[in-house]
Amino acid sequence: MNSVAIPVATQMLFHNRPRFIMTVVGIAIAFFLAAAQIGLLVGWINTNSAIIKHAGVDIWVMAQETRTLDYGTAIPRHRIQQVSSVQGVAWAEGMLVGWVNWQHPEGKHITVEVIGLDKANAGGPWLMPEGNISSIHLPQTVVVDELSKQTLGVRQIGDEAEMEGRRVIIGGFSRGVRTFTASPFVFTSIDNALDYVAYYQDDEISYVLVRIDPGADVMQVRDRIAREVSHVEVLTTAEFAERSVKYWMLETGVGITVIITAALGLLVGAVIMSQTLFAITQDHIANYATLLALGFHQKTLRQIVLTQSLSLGGLGIVVGSVLFFIACNASATTPIPLETTPMVSTSLILFSLLCCIASSWFSIRAIFKLDPVMVFHG
Amino acid sequence: MKSVMACQGISKSYGAGDILERVLKRVDLELFEGQASVLVGPSGSGKTTLLSILGCLLAPSEGQLLIADQTVNFSDKSSLTEVRRKKLGFIFQHAQLLPFLTIEENLAIVGRNAGMEDMDIKQRLDGLLQRLELKVMRYKYPAQLSGGQRQRVAIARALLHRPSIVLADEPTAALDWNTGKTVVELLLEQARLEKAVLVVVTHDTRMLPLFDRILTIADGLLSEQRQTAAVENTFYTQP
Repeated sequence: MNSVAIPVATQMLFHNRPRFIMTVVGIAIAFFLAAAQIGLLVGWINTNSAIIKHAGVDIWVMAQETRTLDYGTAIPRHRIQQVSSVQGVAWAEGMLVGWVNWQHPEGKHITVEVIGLDKANAGGPWLMPEGNISSIHLPQTVVVDELSKQTLGVRQIGDEAEMEGRRVIIGGFSRGVRTFTASPFVFTSIDNALDYVAYYQDDEISYVLVRIDPGADVMQVRDRIAREVSHVEVLTTAEFAERSVKYWMLETGVGITVIITAALGLLVGAVIMSQTLFAITQDHIANYATLLALGFHQKTLRQIVLTQSLSLGGLGIVVGSVLFFIACNASATTPIPLETTPMVSTSLILFSLLCCIASSWFSIRAIFKLDPVMVFHG
Repeated sequence: MKSVMACQGISKSYGAGDILERVLKRVDLELFEGQASVLVGPSGSGKTTLLSILGCLLAPSEGQLLIADQTVNFSDKSSLTEVRRKKLGFIFQHAQLLPFLTIEENLAIVGRNAGMEDMDIKQRLDGLLQRLELKVMRYKYPAQLSGGQRQRVAIARALLHRPSIVLADEPTAALDWNTGKTVVELLLEQARLEKAVLVVVTHDTRMLPLFDRILTIADGLLSEQRQTAAVENTFYTQP
């Protein structure tokens, strides 16, 4: 890097401060737009797979062709014993998932997703700010998330409502069990759930949740269960989480919309950057010609443009990241929070910087075509 | 005297076939260390074209240019840039200072680009600003300077990296007579002090007596005149 490139590039940018500020703001907003869309996607993925990932088990056994946790179908309850007897399995218990009608105390009806848990409550809420999860084993008792209080028309422990025309009592409130659908999760025991979910027989459940022996290989145990237990599909937790996410993202089309919007956000940012850089280069084309005539190499001028591009992009990304951080905090208690991971953030920043470099192509082309003899023509 | 730059049969043409225009016709010229030459001629006579070729900014159609006995390779853009970076200094009609840099920065970047050490740049900058009476302007921007002051900065910029050749294209065109004369006198004084070859293109015939050599160009043909003959000649455009 020529030692002249950085001071010339930055001073050229700062010389017109209003334009500099507007450009950084434009890029920041475009970055924020893209980050927010991707954050929405990440939040959505986390929401989709939260129950699976928080269950604390290694393997899920389910009916064949189960597309997502929410659409589990019936398998015989004795599969729990069959799975438990497989070598490498330390522990197994059931889970039931069904969709039922919830009636507010005021009479309003909505559909809810009932999660019936077994004795150890695997697959249940992981944070309980009010009440205790073991209360679900009491008759007619359920636990709902604090985010769903208003939707379900309940306010405190002991409040009552109806599911499928039968009484339910609120035994506690969980935290962070979100759903992106309009149907909140309602946790109860498998036995209670069977009372409400009419399309399940008393000897049926949806899933068998498995913990493997310490030191056992999860893939080997998975394959062994698949061989020894008939008419089921066996997936590791990571596989099942991925399948659930893929279903909602790709098969419903909603995820694609989010991905396209994120890509458009980045594209808008790249266009803003490209136009501004080109305008700055055109404004200073005579200065570039002077520098060429004075013996500055084309390479140095390209470095100037790239430095400007990365400076504008870098500042835009910093400001955009601050906006995103604020938005993440603000959305933390909403049904679909904006979230990110270190890998997603790093990838987005690198991709944005790549867009910045690509957007300087028109400016570099203009400089490449520059004839320094123009300095003698005013 | 030591020869610094030489043109050997340089011609320059634009276009082709019926619309071929020959701007320069077999120009032969040798320029010597510490010698100041003025290049005069009517508009469109080829002054700027010749200056552009001398400045390694434009390739001749025929002939060759030698700098310090080395033939300039016009087909290699990188080597042309190197020649301009190390051996040439330019002064343009409107100074062409970078508006977003202070005077000091405008000068320093040329030194840095030429590979000078920071200490050398500082000493050189201090000396030139002192000699050109620009010390108080050091931290100002070009827009805060008068036209004459800007041209003085341009002189400092052209000399900072100790080039062996300084080329000036109508450096007084945008200045009034008194300011212009002062600028040219300063330019001559500094170029002689640095023992640089100086070539100045001008329309102002009143400047001619200040130079060692008067080069006249008309219809692409270069000739040299004696001082008195040049001053009496009438084809120059009066300022």
